[in-house]
Amino acid sequence: MLNYIWAGLIIFSLVFALSTDVQELSSDRYRNGDALPVTVSFPEEYDADARRQPVTVELDTTAFQAFYPDATTPDPRYEGQLVQTQDGNQIVFGSGTELPQPWQDMRDFYGDETSDPIRAEAQLDAVTGTVAQARLTFEPVHFRKLNDIAAAALNFAETAASLALGLIGVLALVLGLLKIGEEGGLIHSLTRFVQPVLRPLFPELPKDHPAMGTIALNLLANVFGLGNAATPLGIKAMEDLQKENPSEETATNAMVMLLALNTSSVQLVPPVLLIAIMGLQVNELVFSIALATACTTVAGIAGAVFLSRMKRFADSNPMNDSS
Amino acid sequence: MLETIRSIVSILSYFVLPAILVGFPLYGLIKGVRVYEVFVEGAKEGFEIAVMIIPYLVAILFAIGMFRASGAMDFLVDTLDPVLGWFGIPAEVLPMAIMRPLTGSGSAALVADMVAQYGEDALIVKMVATMFGSTETTFYVIAVYFGAVNIRKTRHAVPAGLFADGVGVIASVYAVRLLFGG
Repeated sequence: MLNYIWAGLIIFSLVFALSTDVQELSSDRYRNGDALPVTVSFPEEYDADARRQPVTVELDTTAFQAFYPDATTPDPRYEGQLVQTQDGNQIVFGSGTELPQPWQDMRDFYGDETSDPIRAEAQLDAVTGTVAQARLTFEPVHFRKLNDIAAAALNFAETAASLALGLIGVLALVLGLLKIGEEGGLIHSLTRFVQPVLRPLFPELPKDHPAMGTIALNLLANVFGLGNAATPLGIKAMEDLQKENPSEETATNAMVMLLALNTSSVQLVPPVLLIAIMGLQVNELVFSIALATACTTVAGIAGAVFLSRMKRFADSNPMNDSS
Repeated sequence: MLETIRSIVSILSYFVLPAILVGFPLYGLIKGVRVYEVFVEGAKEGFEIAVMIIPYLVAILFAIGMFRASGAMDFLVDTLDPVLGWFGIPAEVLPMAIMRPLTGSGSAALVADMVAQYGEDALIVKMVATMFGSTETTFYVIAVYFGAVNIRKTRHAVPAGLFADGVGVIASVYAVRLLFGG
Protein backbone atom coordinates (compact mmCIF):
# COMPACT_ATOMS: atom_id res chain seq x y z
CA MET A 1 0.00 0.00 0.00
CA LEU A 2 2.69 2.45 1.03
CA ASN A 3 4.66 1.47 -2.09
CA TYR A 4 1.81 2.59 -4.32
CA ILE A 5 1.09 5.78 -2.40
CA TRP A 6 4.76 6.69 -2.41
CA ALA A 7 5.22 6.06 -6.12
CA GLY A 8 1.92 7.80 -6.76
CA LEU A 9 3.04 10.96 -4.97
CA ILE A 10 6.21 11.13 -7.03
CA ILE A 11 4.63 10.33 -10.39
CA PHE A 12 1.71 12.66 -9.82
CA SER A 13 3.98 15.51 -8.86
CA LEU A 14 5.89 15.08 -12.10
CA VAL A 15 2.70 14.90 -14.15
CA PHE A 16 1.24 17.99 -12.49
CA ALA A 17 4.42 20.00 -12.68
CA LEU A 18 4.79 19.20 -16.36
CA SER A 19 1.20 19.93 -17.24
CA THR A 20 1.32 23.25 -15.42
CA ASP A 21 4.55 24.14 -17.21
CA VAL A 22 3.23 23.21 -20.62
CA GLN A 23 0.09 25.19 -19.98
CA GLU A 24 2.12 28.21 -18.85
CA LEU A 25 4.34 27.98 -21.91
CA SER A 26 1.44 27.64 -24.31
CA SER A 27 -0.41 30.58 -22.79
CA ASP A 28 2.89 32.50 -22.74
CA ARG A 29 2.24 33.42 -19.12
CA TYR A 30 5.57 35.20 -18.64
CA ARG A 31 5.76 36.83 -22.07
CA ASN A 32 9.32 35.56 -22.48
CA GLY A 33 11.32 37.97 -24.60
CA ASP A 34 8.53 40.55 -24.92
CA ALA A 35 8.90 44.09 -23.59
CA LEU A 36 6.41 45.72 -21.22
CA PRO A 37 6.07 49.51 -21.70
CA VAL A 38 6.24 51.46 -18.43
CA THR A 39 6.85 55.01 -17.26
CA VAL A 40 9.91 55.61 -15.12
CA SER A 41 10.17 58.71 -12.98
CA PHE A 42 13.29 59.98 -11.22
CA PRO A 43 13.11 61.83 -7.90
CA GLU A 44 15.76 64.19 -9.24
CA GLU A 45 16.80 64.74 -12.82
CA TYR A 46 17.91 61.69 -14.84
CA ASP A 47 21.66 61.32 -14.46
CA ALA A 48 23.20 59.53 -17.43
CA ASP A 49 26.48 58.95 -15.57
CA ALA A 50 25.14 57.54 -12.32
CA ARG A 51 25.65 53.79 -12.02
CA ARG A 52 22.77 53.42 -9.64
CA GLN A 53 19.83 55.75 -9.08
CA PRO A 54 16.47 55.33 -7.33
CA VAL A 55 13.43 55.35 -9.59
CA THR A 56 9.69 54.91 -9.40
CA VAL A 57 8.21 52.58 -12.00
CA GLU A 58 4.66 53.54 -12.92
CA LEU A 59 2.46 50.83 -14.35
CA ASP A 60 -0.67 51.28 -16.39
CA THR A 61 -2.72 48.68 -14.51
CA THR A 62 -5.00 47.80 -17.44
CA ALA A 63 -2.08 47.57 -19.85
CA PHE A 64 -0.24 45.32 -17.36
CA GLN A 65 -3.19 42.97 -17.13
CA ALA A 66 -3.60 42.96 -20.88
CA PHE A 67 0.10 42.18 -21.30
CA TYR A 68 0.25 39.21 -18.90
CA PRO A 69 -2.51 36.59 -19.39
CA ASP A 70 -3.32 35.94 -15.73
CA ALA A 71 -1.96 38.93 -13.90
CA THR A 72 -3.22 40.14 -10.55
CA THR A 73 -4.03 43.84 -10.29
CA PRO A 74 -0.73 45.64 -9.72
CA ASP A 75 -0.19 48.76 -7.66
CA PRO A 76 0.15 51.86 -9.87
CA ARG A 77 3.77 52.40 -8.82
CA TYR A 78 6.74 50.42 -7.51
CA GLU A 79 10.00 51.65 -6.05
CA GLY A 80 13.11 50.32 -7.74
CA GLN A 81 16.61 51.21 -8.84
CA LEU A 82 18.02 51.94 -12.26
CA VAL A 83 21.40 50.26 -12.64
CA GLN A 84 23.80 50.85 -15.52
CA THR A 85 25.67 47.72 -16.52
CA GLN A 86 27.88 46.73 -19.43
CA ASP A 87 24.86 45.19 -21.15
CA GLY A 88 22.75 48.31 -20.76
CA ASN A 89 20.26 49.57 -18.21
CA GLN A 90 18.53 47.36 -15.72
CA ILE A 91 15.71 48.05 -13.32
CA VAL A 92 16.00 46.20 -10.02
CA PHE A 93 13.10 45.70 -7.64
CA GLY A 94 14.51 45.29 -4.16
CA SER A 95 14.07 42.37 -1.83
CA GLY A 96 11.40 44.04 0.29
CA THR A 97 9.08 45.03 -2.56
CA GLU A 98 5.77 43.19 -2.89
CA LEU A 99 5.15 42.41 -6.54
CA PRO A 100 2.05 41.45 -8.52
CA GLN A 101 1.62 38.11 -10.29
CA PRO A 102 3.22 36.84 -12.47
CA TRP A 103 6.26 38.86 -11.34
CA GLN A 104 6.17 37.18 -7.94
CA ASP A 105 6.34 33.73 -9.54
CA MET A 106 9.14 34.90 -11.79
CA ARG A 107 11.06 36.16 -8.79
CA ASP A 108 10.63 32.72 -7.14
CA PHE A 109 11.97 31.13 -10.29
CA TYR A 110 15.11 33.27 -10.54
CA GLY A 111 16.08 33.34 -6.89
CA ASP A 112 16.37 30.97 -3.98
CA GLU A 113 14.21 33.03 -1.69
CA THR A 114 10.77 34.43 -2.42
CA SER A 115 12.06 37.85 -1.39
CA ASP A 116 15.14 38.00 -3.63
CA PRO A 117 15.59 41.11 -5.79
CA ILE A 118 14.33 40.78 -9.35
CA ARG A 119 15.87 42.60 -12.34
CA ALA A 120 14.72 43.43 -15.85
CA GLU A 121 16.49 44.83 -18.88
CA ALA A 122 15.28 48.39 -19.33
CA GLN A 123 15.31 50.13 -22.69
CA LEU A 124 14.98 53.86 -22.01
CA ASP A 125 13.20 55.52 -24.95
CA ALA A 126 12.30 59.12 -24.31
CA VAL A 127 13.88 60.87 -21.34
CA THR A 128 12.43 64.28 -20.52
CA GLY A 129 13.64 65.76 -17.24
CA THR A 130 12.43 63.55 -14.40
CA VAL A 131 10.29 61.20 -16.53
CA ALA A 132 11.22 58.54 -19.06
CA GLN A 133 9.38 56.04 -21.19
CA ALA A 134 10.92 52.58 -20.89
CA ARG A 135 10.40 48.99 -22.01
CA LEU A 136 11.08 46.19 -19.52
CA THR A 137 12.20 42.74 -20.62
CA PHE A 138 12.61 40.03 -18.01
CA GLU A 139 14.78 36.94 -18.18
CA PRO A 140 12.74 34.15 -19.77
CA VAL A 141 11.00 31.67 -17.45
CA HIS A 142 10.79 28.03 -18.54
CA PHE A 143 9.54 24.97 -16.67
CA ARG A 144 9.01 26.76 -13.39
CA LYS A 145 7.15 23.90 -11.66
CA LEU A 146 9.63 21.27 -12.75
CA ASN A 147 12.31 23.40 -11.19
CA ASP A 148 10.17 23.76 -8.06
CA ILE A 149 9.62 20.06 -7.47
CA ALA A 150 13.30 19.27 -7.86
CA ALA A 151 14.18 22.02 -5.41
CA ALA A 152 11.48 20.80 -3.01
CA ALA A 153 12.79 17.24 -3.13
CA LEU A 154 16.31 18.34 -2.18
CA ASN A 155 14.99 20.68 0.47
CA PHE A 156 12.79 18.11 2.13
CA ALA A 157 15.49 15.47 2.10
CA GLU A 158 17.58 17.88 4.12
CA THR A 159 14.67 18.68 6.43
CA ALA A 160 14.06 14.98 7.00
CA ALA A 161 17.62 14.35 8.10
CA SER A 162 17.68 17.33 10.43
CA LEU A 163 14.30 16.34 11.88
CA ALA A 164 15.59 12.86 12.64
CA LEU A 165 18.86 14.14 14.10
CA GLY A 166 16.89 16.69 16.13
CA LEU A 167 15.24 13.78 17.90
CA ILE A 168 18.54 12.47 19.31
CA GLY A 169 18.54 14.50 22.50
CA VAL A 170 15.01 13.83 23.61
CA LEU A 171 15.28 10.22 22.49
CA ALA A 172 18.37 9.69 24.61
CA LEU A 173 16.75 11.37 27.60
CA VAL A 174 13.56 9.35 27.47
CA LEU A 175 15.28 6.06 26.66
CA GLY A 176 17.66 6.59 29.57
CA LEU A 177 14.80 7.23 31.96
CA LEU A 178 12.89 4.24 30.68
CA LYS A 179 15.90 2.02 31.23
CA ILE A 180 15.92 3.07 34.87
CA GLY A 181 12.19 2.36 34.98
CA GLU A 182 12.77 -1.08 33.56
CA GLU A 183 15.58 -2.00 35.94
CA GLY A 184 13.65 -0.69 38.92
CA GLY A 185 10.58 -2.70 37.97
CA LEU A 186 8.41 0.37 37.40
CA ILE A 187 7.50 -0.63 33.85
CA HIS A 188 6.59 -4.07 35.12
CA SER A 189 4.16 -2.74 37.73
CA LEU A 190 2.74 -0.31 35.21
CA THR A 191 2.19 -3.18 32.81
CA ARG A 192 0.27 -5.15 35.40
CA PHE A 193 -1.80 -2.07 36.17
CA VAL A 194 -2.84 -1.17 32.61
CA GLN A 195 -3.07 -4.74 31.34
CA PRO A 196 -6.84 -5.13 31.80
CA VAL A 197 -7.46 -2.12 29.54
CA LEU A 198 -4.77 -2.63 26.91
CA ARG A 199 -4.74 -6.41 26.61
CA PRO A 200 -7.91 -6.57 24.44
CA LEU A 201 -6.26 -4.17 21.95
CA PHE A 202 -3.06 -6.22 21.78
CA PRO A 203 -4.26 -9.83 21.99
CA GLU A 204 -1.08 -11.17 20.39
CA LEU A 205 1.13 -9.95 23.22
CA PRO A 206 2.03 -12.47 25.95
CA LYS A 207 0.69 -11.73 29.42
CA ASP A 208 2.72 -9.24 31.47
CA HIS A 209 4.74 -8.11 28.46
CA PRO A 210 6.64 -4.87 29.24
CA ALA A 211 5.50 -3.32 25.93
CA MET A 212 2.15 -2.71 27.60
CA GLY A 213 3.85 -0.43 30.13
CA THR A 214 5.65 1.66 27.53
CA ILE A 215 2.52 1.81 25.38
CA ALA A 216 0.65 3.13 28.41
CA LEU A 217 3.29 5.83 28.93
CA ASN A 218 3.17 6.74 25.24
CA LEU A 219 -0.60 7.12 25.33
CA LEU A 220 -0.40 9.09 28.57
CA ALA A 221 2.04 11.54 26.99
CA ASN A 222 -0.31 11.86 24.01
CA VAL A 223 -3.32 12.53 26.22
CA PHE A 224 -1.52 15.40 27.91
CA GLY A 225 -0.33 16.89 24.64
CA LEU A 226 3.36 16.18 25.27
CA GLY A 227 4.23 15.42 21.65
CA ASN A 228 7.99 15.68 22.29
CA ALA A 229 7.96 13.02 24.95
CA ALA A 230 5.30 10.90 23.26
CA THR A 231 7.42 10.14 20.21
CA PRO A 232 10.39 8.55 22.01
CA LEU A 233 8.02 6.66 24.29
CA GLY A 234 6.20 5.35 21.23
CA ILE A 235 9.49 4.37 19.62
CA LYS A 236 10.47 2.47 22.75
CA ALA A 237 7.10 0.73 22.74
CA MET A 238 7.68 -0.21 19.09
CA GLU A 239 11.05 -1.70 20.03
CA ASP A 240 9.41 -3.77 22.75
CA LEU A 241 6.85 -4.98 20.23
CA GLN A 242 9.55 -5.77 17.69
CA LYS A 243 11.12 -8.19 20.19
CA GLU A 244 7.97 -10.32 19.89
CA ASN A 245 7.96 -10.07 16.10
CA PRO A 246 9.24 -13.18 14.29
CA SER A 247 9.80 -11.08 11.15
CA GLU A 248 12.50 -8.45 10.71
CA GLU A 249 10.66 -6.18 8.35
CA THR A 250 6.92 -6.86 8.50
CA ALA A 251 4.65 -5.08 10.95
CA THR A 252 2.58 -7.15 13.39
CA ASN A 253 -1.04 -6.42 14.24
CA ALA A 254 0.10 -5.01 17.58
CA MET A 255 2.42 -2.55 15.84
CA VAL A 256 -0.29 -1.35 13.51
CA MET A 257 -2.60 -0.94 16.50
CA LEU A 258 -0.02 1.16 18.32
CA LEU A 259 0.44 3.24 15.20
CA ALA A 260 -3.31 3.72 14.78
CA LEU A 261 -3.58 4.84 18.42
CA ASN A 262 -0.80 7.35 17.80
CA THR A 263 -2.00 8.79 14.50
CA SER A 264 -5.47 9.24 15.92
CA SER A 265 -3.88 10.49 19.16
CA VAL A 266 -6.22 10.76 22.10
CA GLN A 267 -5.71 14.28 23.33
CA LEU A 268 -7.10 16.31 26.18
CA VAL A 269 -4.57 19.13 25.95
CA PRO A 270 -4.23 20.83 22.56
CA PRO A 271 -0.80 20.56 20.93
CA VAL A 272 1.65 23.35 21.72
CA LEU A 273 1.85 24.39 18.07
CA LEU A 274 -1.89 25.05 17.94
CA ILE A 275 -1.67 27.17 21.08
CA ALA A 276 1.11 29.16 19.42
CA ILE A 277 -1.04 29.81 16.35
CA MET A 278 -4.43 30.39 17.91
CA GLY A 279 -3.51 31.92 21.27
CA LEU A 280 -6.12 31.83 24.05
CA GLN A 281 -8.81 31.02 21.51
CA VAL A 282 -7.69 27.41 21.86
CA ASN A 283 -9.51 27.18 25.19
CA GLU A 284 -12.80 27.18 23.33
CA LEU A 285 -11.66 24.37 21.12
CA VAL A 286 -10.67 21.93 23.84
CA PHE A 287 -14.06 20.26 23.80
CA SER A 288 -14.43 20.04 20.06
CA ILE A 289 -10.93 18.57 19.87
CA ALA A 290 -11.70 16.07 22.63
CA LEU A 291 -14.91 15.06 20.85
CA ALA A 292 -13.25 14.69 17.45
CA THR A 293 -10.26 12.87 18.89
CA ALA A 294 -12.53 10.39 20.65
CA CYS A 295 -14.10 9.63 17.25
CA THR A 296 -10.74 9.23 15.52
CA THR A 297 -9.45 6.95 18.25
CA VAL A 298 -12.46 4.68 17.98
CA ALA A 299 -12.10 4.77 14.19
CA GLY A 300 -8.38 4.01 14.42
CA ILE A 301 -8.92 1.01 16.70
CA ALA A 302 -11.85 -0.26 14.62
CA GLY A 303 -9.90 0.26 11.39
CA ALA A 304 -6.85 -1.59 12.71
CA VAL A 305 -8.95 -4.51 13.98
CA PHE A 306 -11.13 -4.92 10.91
CA LEU A 307 -8.36 -4.47 8.39
CA SER A 308 -6.23 -7.05 10.21
CA ARG A 309 -9.01 -9.56 9.56
CA MET A 310 -9.20 -8.87 5.84
CA LYS A 311 -7.79 -11.82 3.97
CA ARG A 312 -4.98 -9.86 2.37
CA PHE A 313 -3.63 -8.49 5.63
CA ALA A 314 -4.41 -11.60 7.67
CA ASP A 315 -2.26 -13.64 5.26
CA SER A 316 0.69 -11.31 5.63
CA ASN A 317 0.64 -11.42 9.44
CA PRO A 318 4.18 -12.41 10.52
CA MET A 319 2.69 -14.12 13.58
CA ASN A 320 1.23 -16.81 11.27
CA ASP A 321 4.57 -18.55 10.84
CA SER A 322 5.44 -18.79 14.50
CA SER A 323 2.24 -20.52 15.62
CA MET B 1 -18.66 20.91 35.33
CA LEU B 2 -16.85 20.73 32.01
CA GLU B 3 -14.80 23.74 33.00
CA THR B 4 -13.62 22.03 36.20
CA ILE B 5 -12.54 18.91 34.33
CA ARG B 6 -10.76 21.12 31.84
CA SER B 7 -8.80 23.01 34.50
CA ILE B 8 -7.90 19.82 36.34
CA VAL B 9 -6.59 18.32 33.10
CA SER B 10 -4.57 21.38 32.22
CA ILE B 11 -3.00 21.52 35.69
CA LEU B 12 -2.26 17.80 35.58
CA SER B 13 -0.55 18.23 32.24
CA TYR B 14 2.07 20.40 33.92
CA PHE B 15 2.92 17.57 36.28
CA VAL B 16 3.18 14.61 33.91
CA LEU B 17 6.59 15.43 32.48
CA PRO B 18 8.25 16.45 35.76
CA ALA B 19 6.75 13.34 37.35
CA ILE B 20 8.41 11.14 34.73
CA LEU B 21 11.67 13.12 34.82
CA VAL B 22 11.99 12.97 38.59
CA GLY B 23 9.84 9.96 39.38
CA PHE B 24 11.81 7.41 37.35
CA PRO B 25 15.27 8.12 38.82
CA LEU B 26 13.78 8.47 42.30
CA TYR B 27 11.97 5.16 42.02
CA GLY B 28 15.12 3.55 40.66
CA LEU B 29 17.14 4.94 43.53
CA ILE B 30 14.72 3.50 46.07
CA LYS B 31 14.86 0.14 44.32
CA GLY B 32 18.64 0.15 44.45
CA VAL B 33 19.27 0.71 40.73
CA ARG B 34 22.63 2.29 39.79
CA VAL B 35 20.64 5.13 38.26
CA TYR B 36 23.35 7.11 36.50
CA GLU B 37 25.01 4.10 34.91
CA VAL B 38 21.73 2.61 33.77
CA PHE B 39 20.53 5.94 32.39
CA VAL B 40 23.61 6.34 30.23
CA GLU B 41 23.30 2.78 29.02
CA GLY B 42 19.72 3.37 27.88
CA ALA B 43 20.44 6.80 26.43
CA LYS B 44 23.13 5.37 24.13
CA GLU B 45 20.41 4.00 21.92
CA GLY B 46 19.05 7.47 21.14
CA PHE B 47 21.63 8.19 18.49
CA GLU B 48 21.30 4.85 16.71
CA ILE B 49 17.54 5.12 16.52
CA ALA B 50 17.63 8.67 15.18
CA VAL B 51 20.07 7.63 12.47
CA MET B 52 17.99 4.58 11.66
CA ILE B 53 14.94 6.78 11.09
CA ILE B 54 16.66 9.01 8.52
CA PRO B 55 16.16 6.89 5.36
CA TYR B 56 12.49 6.35 6.16
CA LEU B 57 11.87 10.00 6.86
CA VAL B 58 13.77 11.13 3.76
CA ALA B 59 11.71 8.75 1.59
CA ILE B 60 8.40 10.00 2.94
CA LEU B 61 9.18 13.70 3.21
CA PHE B 62 10.80 14.22 -0.16
CA ALA B 63 7.86 12.60 -1.96
CA ILE B 64 5.41 14.73 -0.02
CA GLY B 65 7.50 17.85 -0.60
CA MET B 66 7.51 17.25 -4.35
CA PHE B 67 3.80 16.61 -4.34
CA ARG B 68 3.10 19.87 -2.54
CA ALA B 69 5.41 21.87 -4.79
CA SER B 70 3.84 20.49 -7.97
CA GLY B 71 0.47 22.10 -7.26
CA ALA B 72 -1.25 18.71 -7.32
CA MET B 73 -2.89 19.66 -4.04
CA ASP B 74 -5.02 22.27 -5.82
CA PHE B 75 -6.13 19.67 -8.33
CA LEU B 76 -7.12 17.28 -5.53
CA VAL B 77 -9.09 20.02 -3.82
CA ASP B 78 -10.99 20.72 -7.04
CA THR B 79 -11.81 17.08 -7.69
CA LEU B 80 -12.76 16.16 -4.14
CA ASP B 81 -14.85 19.24 -3.52
CA PRO B 82 -18.19 17.84 -4.82
CA VAL B 83 -17.64 14.52 -2.99
CA LEU B 84 -17.16 16.19 0.37
CA GLY B 85 -20.17 18.41 -0.23
CA TRP B 86 -22.26 15.27 0.30
CA PHE B 87 -21.03 15.01 3.88
CA GLY B 88 -21.82 18.66 4.50
CA ILE B 89 -18.16 19.59 4.69
CA PRO B 90 -17.40 23.17 3.63
CA ALA B 91 -14.97 23.54 0.72
CA GLU B 92 -12.62 25.82 2.69
CA VAL B 93 -11.54 23.06 5.07
CA LEU B 94 -10.65 20.66 2.25
CA PRO B 95 -6.99 21.69 1.82
CA MET B 96 -6.53 20.98 5.53
CA ALA B 97 -8.15 17.57 5.24
CA ILE B 98 -5.66 16.61 2.53
CA MET B 99 -2.64 18.31 4.08
CA ARG B 100 -3.03 17.04 7.65
CA PRO B 101 -1.92 13.42 7.18
CA LEU B 102 0.91 14.51 4.86
CA THR B 103 2.77 17.29 6.66
CA GLY B 104 2.71 18.75 10.14
CA SER B 105 4.45 22.02 9.34
CA GLY B 106 2.40 22.50 6.18
CA SER B 107 -0.89 22.03 7.96
CA ALA B 108 0.19 24.31 10.82
CA ALA B 109 0.97 27.00 8.25
CA LEU B 110 -2.47 26.43 6.74
CA VAL B 111 -4.17 27.01 10.11
CA ALA B 112 -2.13 30.20 10.55
CA ASP B 113 -3.12 31.37 7.04
CA MET B 114 -6.78 30.77 7.71
CA VAL B 115 -6.62 32.55 11.09
CA ALA B 116 -5.13 35.54 9.28
CA GLN B 117 -7.73 35.38 6.52
CA TYR B 118 -10.95 34.65 8.41
CA GLY B 119 -10.14 35.50 12.05
CA GLU B 120 -10.08 33.15 15.06
CA ASP B 121 -13.83 33.24 15.53
CA ALA B 122 -14.85 31.95 12.10
CA LEU B 123 -16.52 28.57 12.17
CA ILE B 124 -14.29 27.16 9.42
CA VAL B 125 -11.18 28.24 11.34
CA LYS B 126 -12.46 26.40 14.39
CA MET B 127 -13.02 23.37 12.18
CA VAL B 128 -9.51 23.30 10.75
CA ALA B 129 -7.99 23.95 14.17
CA THR B 130 -9.99 21.04 15.58
CA MET B 131 -8.76 18.87 12.72
CA PHE B 132 -5.22 19.93 13.46
CA GLY B 133 -5.64 19.11 17.13
CA SER B 134 -7.45 15.82 16.76
CA THR B 135 -5.28 13.92 14.27
CA GLU B 136 -1.58 13.39 13.73
CA THR B 137 0.64 13.56 10.68
CA THR B 138 0.03 9.94 9.72
CA PHE B 139 2.87 9.51 7.23
CA TYR B 140 5.41 11.12 9.55
CA VAL B 141 4.36 8.88 12.42
CA ILE B 142 4.61 5.81 10.20
CA ALA B 143 8.10 6.80 9.03
CA VAL B 144 9.38 7.52 12.53
CA TYR B 145 7.80 4.66 14.45
CA PHE B 146 8.36 1.95 11.88
CA GLY B 147 11.69 3.39 10.82
CA ALA B 148 12.99 3.09 14.37
CA VAL B 149 12.55 -0.69 14.26
CA ASN B 150 13.33 -1.14 10.56
CA ILE B 151 9.84 -2.19 9.55
CA ARG B 152 9.40 -1.78 5.80
CA LYS B 153 6.26 -3.80 5.14
CA THR B 154 3.63 -1.69 6.82
CA ARG B 155 0.62 -3.93 6.06
CA HIS B 156 -2.64 -2.21 7.04
CA ALA B 157 -1.03 0.69 8.92
CA VAL B 158 -1.60 3.23 6.12
CA PRO B 159 -5.26 2.43 5.43
CA ALA B 160 -6.04 2.27 9.17
CA GLY B 161 -4.34 5.62 9.77
CA LEU B 162 -5.99 7.29 6.79
CA PHE B 163 -9.37 5.92 7.78
CA ALA B 164 -8.95 7.51 11.23
CA ASP B 165 -7.93 10.76 9.54
CA GLY B 166 -11.01 10.71 7.34
CA VAL B 167 -13.25 10.15 10.34
CA GLY B 168 -11.37 12.99 12.07
CA VAL B 169 -12.24 15.42 9.29
CA ILE B 170 -15.93 14.62 9.44
CA ALA B 171 -15.97 14.49 13.25
CA SER B 172 -14.23 17.89 13.50
CA VAL B 173 -16.77 19.53 11.22
CA TYR B 174 -19.72 18.11 13.13
CA ALA B 175 -18.19 18.65 16.59
CA VAL B 176 -17.67 22.34 15.81
CA ARG B 177 -21.19 22.66 14.38
CA LEU B 178 -22.60 20.95 17.46
CA LEU B 179 -20.70 23.05 19.99
CA PHE B 180 -20.67 26.44 18.28
CA GLY B 181 -23.80 26.26 16.12
CA GLY B 182 -24.10 27.08 12.45
